Amino acid sequence: MILTVAEMSFPTGWIPPYNTLVVAAGVASVGFAAGVVGCFAVLRRRALAGDAAAHATLLGVGLAFLLGGGRRDLPLLLGGALSTAIAALLALVLIGRWTRTRDDAATAIVLGVSFGAGITLLSGISARGIPGSAGLEQFLLGHTAGLTAADAMILGALSLLTVALVALFLKESTLVAFDPLFAAASGWPVTLIDYALVVLVAVMVVVGLPAAGAVLVTALVVIPPVTARQWTDSVGVMLPLAGLFGLVAALSGVAVSSAVPRMPTGPLVVIAASILLTISLLIAPRRGGLARWLRSRRTVAAWAEGRLLEVALRLEAQGPFTREQLLAKAPGVAADSAFKRLVRSAAIEPVVTRAGTDAWRLAVWGRELAAERSRRLAAWTEVLEVAREDARGHLTIDVPSPEAILGAARMKAIRESAAAARSASGPG
Amino acid sequence: MSTTSAGLEFHDVTVAYGRRPVLWNVDLTVPGACLFGIIGPNGAGKSTLLKAALGLVPLAGGEVRILGAPLEQVRGRVGYVPQRESVDWDFPVTVTDVVLMGTYARLGWLRRPGPRERSLAAECLDRVGLADVADRQIGRLSGGQQQRVFLARALAQQADVYFLDEPMAGVDARSQERIFRVLSDLRAEGRLVVIVHHDLRSVAEWFDAVALIDMRLVATGPVAEVLTPENLRRTYAGRLDVLDEIGRAVAEGGRTP
Repeated sequence: MILTVAEMSFPTGWIPPYNTLVVAAGVASVGFAAGVVGCFAVLRRRALAGDAAAHATLLGVGLAFLLGGGRRDLPLLLGGALSTAIAALLALVLIGRWTRTRDDAATAIVLGVSFGAGITLLSGISARGIPGSAGLEQFLLGHTAGLTAADAMILGALSLLTVALVALFLKESTLVAFDPLFAAASGWPVTLIDYALVVLVAVMVVVGLPAAGAVLVTALVVIPPVTARQWTDSVGVMLPLAGLFGLVAALSGVAVSSAVPRMPTGPLVVIAASILLTISLLIAPRRGGLARWLRSRRTVAAWAEGRLLEVALRLEAQGPFTREQLLAKAPGVAADSAFKRLVRSAAIEPVVTRAGTDAWRLAVWGRELAAERSRRLAAWTEVLEVAREDARGHLTIDVPSPEAILGAARMKAIRESAAAARSASGPG
Repeated sequence: MSTTSAGLEFHDVTVAYGRRPVLWNVDLTVPGACLFGIIGPNGAGKSTLLKAALGLVPLAGGEVRILGAPLEQVRGRVGYVPQRESVDWDFPVTVTDVVLMGTYARLGWLRRPGPRERSLAAECLDRVGLADVADRQIGRLSGGQQQRVFLARALAQQADVYFLDEPMAGVDARSQERIFRVLSDLRAEGRLVVIVHHDLRSVAEWFDAVALIDMRLVATGPVAEVLTPENLRRTYAGRLDVLDEIGRAVAEGGRTP
């Protein structure tokens, strides 16, 4: 890895506090903006197009460096990066419109070709040892240690500008991202809004280059929105939350890399972002894997217990029953543990009581539970018959009370129409 | 039906995807204030006809006029219910958010929906019977409820001409009844409702007039006149055996508008 300018001028790796602070603030706003803008890349399913644009930036960096006569001027280099990023997006649009190449293939082609060209150009520049070319490779994987306060301010300002634009056009962007057909039918310039959003993504990809590098910057744009989506069902919350996750990822990546000399920041930023993502995928309420797993376990357990009670009520008509008898009549994966729970619950509020070594009968409370469950099942069956949508929308495997969910008035109407249907089709 | 000016006119409309024509010289006039069905088999170009009217697909030839004017002049008076599958229902918006989108065109750039738009949205949700799920994320609804959210959004557009693309697809009987009742109310208020529809059984019960489409216009007019076994055979070209039966049922039980 090549030393950056900053490391050469500060051999000890020590940077004045002012510079550190400004760079930190700049990187924080870059991370925030990448998360916010990335939401629309993710919601509009343009994440891969963003990746193609990111890989195309290297070519622009190289070209701008040559055109600028070998100056390592960050705004100039980023300007070059933006122009090839947008050129790559244009290429995607043109390939989609004029050839029969499919989207994914087109994206892979543009990404590969532009990245290959960029690497070739940068290697050529570096092989010729053009003065000042040292450090261009930092755009590959990111290296914020080389940033000056002035650079960081530019990055920060651009980031805040893109966030402001997204906030300003939130209504329009959400509409087009959710339902472009409806938006077009009601007269909105969908293509224009779409392109504007894609250009904003390209700008963020370019602004994120120093922090994450061409190869990984898409992760900074894509991971925080996906992380945020785990925690909320509202675009209005998802955007700032994604920004926050992006900010945390970018800052922690940069902090760790600054402690380790010559460590590129991009991989560290991505690792930080993916730690947040992994945690969110696991523990987010409702959408998280853990919540889903617990939910499915709980419903299976509830169903098994209900089935046992239902069967026990029938068996009890002939006196006490054994565990074998009960489980034989109510087989299922969770039946065994459900029986254990019923027995254990006897200590608190008896559901089943012991009538011998292996002889059981339902306690008063158990009988009530079983009766209530069969009442609910019967009621839901009526709902299914006359108001199928209500049942399909609300009935869950733990058999909730239909009155509690649909309301007593609605249930009364359903019962009446079910009774009417019965008497109409019945004999007589 | 007594109407002074036509609600919707197609003049020799031809639409092609590449060199393949999807609609061929469709010449069709729909009077105002009625429930009008566009009926035909899968791939007949029904949705394309609707999209042509809304300017969502380029015309290879011909022209469309809505309320006697080109689309650009009357866009604000046109409401649209796209096919339910055309959007991602996992999108992080609530039922109210989606209905508010119906007010966006009137609001224009940058202006956000305010109290007036919110109360309109609530009113529209009430009309389709979804007031109690107003704050729910749209993915946590049944198919029929999702379709009614789209209908409520169209109501919030406060249009004079409504276009609905397969509003009954994957919808249970109760939602279907509710949707048809709202659409009938719109007609009673003097609006034109154009529906792409594929279920022949409900046509006679609800529609005033229909157009049978299979790439070309086969027949158009009042339901009882159009849904003859002969016309259905020409439209479905032997794709359904039960057509004679349905045609007879329509002829016997259909109401004449």
